[in-house]
Amino acid sequence: MASGKRGPVAGEMLQGTLDMLILRTLVMGAAHGHTIAQVIEHTSENALEVEQGSLYPALHRLEDRGLVSAKWGVSENNRRARFYQLTAAGRRKLAAATSRWRQMTRAIGLILGEEAD
Amino acid sequence: MNLRRFRGRGEKDAELTEEIRSHLAHDEDLRTARGVDAEEARRQARVKFGPQNSVHEEEWRYRSLPWLENLWRDLKFVARSLGKTPGFTIVAIVVIAVGIGVNTAVFSVINTVLLKPLIFPDQDSLVDLMNTSPRGSGPGANIPKFRIWREQTSIFSKVAGFDFGGAGLNLTGGDKPQQVQGVHVTQQYFSMLGAPVIMGRTFTQAEDSPNGGRVTVLSYALWKSRFGDDPKIVGKTIQLDGQPYLVLGVIGKSFVTDTPTDLYLPFQFDMNSQDQAHYFIVAARLKPGITIGQANAQLKLAADEYRRTYGPMAMGPQDGFGVASLAEMWVGDSRTSLWVLMGAVGFVLLIACANVANLMLVRATGRKRELATRAALGAGRGMIVRQLLTESLALALTGGALGLVLGAVGVRLLLAIAPAGIPRIGEDGSAVTPDWHVLLFTLGVSVLTGILFGLAPAIGASRPNLVAALNESSNRSGVGFRSGKLRSALVISEMALALILVIGAALLIRTFMKLEAVNPGYDTRNVLTMAMSISGDRFQKTAGVAQLVKDGTDRLTALPGVTGAAATCCLPLEGGFGLGFNIVGRPNGNNPITGGAGYDTVSWNYFNTFKIPLLRGRMFTEQDSGSAPGVVIINEALAKQYWPKGKGDPLKDRLEIGPGMGPNFKEQPRQIIGIVGDTRVRALDRQPDPMMYTPIAQMPDGMTALNSRIAPLMWVVHSQVEPHSLAAPMAEALRVASGGLPVAHIRTMEEIVVLNTSRQRFNMLLLTIFGASALLMAAIGIYGLMAYSVQQRTQEMGIRMALGAQASHIRNMVIRQGMVLALIGVVIGIAGAFGLTRFLASFLFDVKPWDPLAFVVTPLLLAAVALLAVWVPAERAVRVDPMAALRFE
Repeated sequence: MASGKRGPVAGEMLQGTLDMLILRTLVMGAAHGHTIAQVIEHTSENALEVEQGSLYPALHRLEDRGLVSAKWGVSENNRRARFYQLTAAGRRKLAAATSRWRQMTRAIGLILGEEAD
Repeated sequence: MNLRRFRGRGEKDAELTEEIRSHLAHDEDLRTARGVDAEEARRQARVKFGPQNSVHEEEWRYRSLPWLENLWRDLKFVARSLGKTPGFTIVAIVVIAVGIGVNTAVFSVINTVLLKPLIFPDQDSLVDLMNTSPRGSGPGANIPKFRIWREQTSIFSKVAGFDFGGAGLNLTGGDKPQQVQGVHVTQQYFSMLGAPVIMGRTFTQAEDSPNGGRVTVLSYALWKSRFGDDPKIVGKTIQLDGQPYLVLGVIGKSFVTDTPTDLYLPFQFDMNSQDQAHYFIVAARLKPGITIGQANAQLKLAADEYRRTYGPMAMGPQDGFGVASLAEMWVGDSRTSLWVLMGAVGFVLLIACANVANLMLVRATGRKRELATRAALGAGRGMIVRQLLTESLALALTGGALGLVLGAVGVRLLLAIAPAGIPRIGEDGSAVTPDWHVLLFTLGVSVLTGILFGLAPAIGASRPNLVAALNESSNRSGVGFRSGKLRSALVISEMALALILVIGAALLIRTFMKLEAVNPGYDTRNVLTMAMSISGDRFQKTAGVAQLVKDGTDRLTALPGVTGAAATCCLPLEGGFGLGFNIVGRPNGNNPITGGAGYDTVSWNYFNTFKIPLLRGRMFTEQDSGSAPGVVIINEALAKQYWPKGKGDPLKDRLEIGPGMGPNFKEQPRQIIGIVGDTRVRALDRQPDPMMYTPIAQMPDGMTALNSRIAPLMWVVHSQVEPHSLAAPMAEALRVASGGLPVAHIRTMEEIVVLNTSRQRFNMLLLTIFGASALLMAAIGIYGLMAYSVQQRTQEMGIRMALGAQASHIRNMVIRQGMVLALIGVVIGIAGAFGLTRFLASFLFDVKPWDPLAFVVTPLLLAAVALLAVWVPAERAVRVDPMAALRFE
């Protein structure tokens, strides 16, 4: 499938990274797309600027893989919105992705640290 | 997974739209809350979101199946474009369907009849034991031979004897008595051939010994038909020839032997017997790793031992033992037949392919401009190729599907017109199913041809030199020279191949006509035959059989419409016995005996009943009874062979029949009392064999006992009326005469002849079907080419006619062009047939492989068909309206 290779990927963010961030955001509870985008931007102190449109293909892929579930509801602004919620599989996936990410950043940090010496 | 995504993606897209709208609304809310005015908030939200279309597109692509969509688009296009040329489409599909259908049907039947009988597990290690001699070798065994072969445990893991055909047994105890085929076998028979036992067990060694008790193993068919697949049949007792037999087991359906068998009985040989009578066959399974060469070497030693034990009378100095592969023995003579038919299959396939190729070429060339236009409008080369590929595949697969139907129907049809007695086709041909390998192979070859010839010109056409292609504004004024040549070559080869097939068919038809006309030496018209099993105790002595024959003959002769009645051991064309003989007083030189000949035991009226002429001496009479001096009648072939001119008079000599056979079969020399005409007893296309005839009433008791056990007694009547009308009165008369024995196999002699010639009839039928379909396809081929050529040259024709050309002139021009191709094909075909028909030689009877009639009539037939195929487009050319033709473009 050619999907995901073209079109606006979130800045220079890697595909898997965006997925991980979305899942992380949903740990606090169900949220709709706009909230998720806001949370990712704010908690990263605006360093990770998501082109918000690209969030949706990512969300739908996660939904297809059964990592999140979605249903229509009413938002805090009293508007109709589609709410995403982490599934059990999504929780496991997040745990695995987080630990792998930690290992990788640690390894990269070690390498950079040694070089800096 | 992809499919799940794919489904309902329209709704998903609508949902996405709503989600995006919701997202933007929330973002606007946020911005207005910060004090941004509504219009600006709206703009900022959109910028922040990014291009909405790409989100939609990404989602859409994510949920797509590109190949499926492309295929669907191509298929729609193909359907449209094929629909525009229905003539081409129908012809192409029919050609493919006929090629596939005919090949599949015929090959499926051949496969079942000729190939499949070899179904024994690990059959390569199965061998027939043979008696070898400088004159040739053949199967056949007596008990001492069986014993010595069984002892060769260094080369054989299993050795088993079985009789060929069996006597028929009278199965009673049901609603009505029934004659069944019982085959005698020795203990290891089932395990040697790997027969599946679905219930109970087979014989033990103790049960296969003298006094082993009356036991039997049933075949699946009998168990099903007579005992209604009774699950508790094992352990029950059935009545055979009035004696109780214990059922030990049932053999599975998959076990098929060449001899139809209803039940199996143990031979119960007395292994100490010194009897020299050969009346069964022995087969063996070679030990793993033992080759036929090694087995033959070991058997040479066994033969020496046998000669030492039983003397040169039992085995001549140059005679010996050997083995022959069972598979080769059983299919051996079918192999040529198989190759010829496979060759025919290949030819039909080639013709079909040539036709498909031709049609695709014609089509692709005609579409050169269309393709160039599409390429100019931006269609990628890959796209054009893919579309043409789809087109070829669509044609091939539609043709293939139709061919499958045709094949399935064809198999049924073939079986329906196949003469009775084609072996191994199962009940009502149930064993024959369309052969998938051939079907797939043929389909694959047609698809490949379609692709190859459909694509080659297309790839050329899609090359970037569009200007030239487009500028060739009047591509109707002429056909590209090279592809024109290729097409002509294809049509010529089709013609040649078709001619070879049709000549082959003609030769077989001629053979069959000759066979029908042959004089067998006995009357086949108004002769009815039936078999009576006489394996019971009453018929172990000659006197009992002689009494039965006399009573039966008397009652049959008394029936109205009957002009003669007789009994015999063996009907013509149904196999028989052969025995050695000595001419009393003539020295044998180095040979143990003078010679050998066919040996029939007959009742006194046999020759009159069959209208076999007496040439010299006298016929048997009722006075040639058991108490009268022994007499024998020989046929002309035997007289000529052993009493050539100047070698004495056979009527003055005496014959010692079956010398050295052992005390049970010992008889006094017999006076030769008459010479009768020759008869074709082995097959209609075989020269008459030398024969000896002796009266049933004069057989040694041992011979009668053996005969009664291994073969039924055959009754024959000659009638003035339609013979089948006598079946019921005959059966009744014989039932009364025999004290209640049933008869079976009620057939006229004509039916036996049909059975005997069924192989030739079937071969002829198959090759005729091949020839006819080849002819049809070749005609389609030449018609297609000429029709296309006429269509391409419409403008030229118009100009010619406008300039004053006569209609007849135009017509002749088209016909001449077509017929030149056809005649070149015919000439090549005749040359090819000269080279190939010699492979048919073994199928021919009284017809030379280069039979002048076949070689003259067939090409004429082909030329006539070609003329017809060319005539139609020629007529069309004549009817061209010059004005319309000139405005054609």
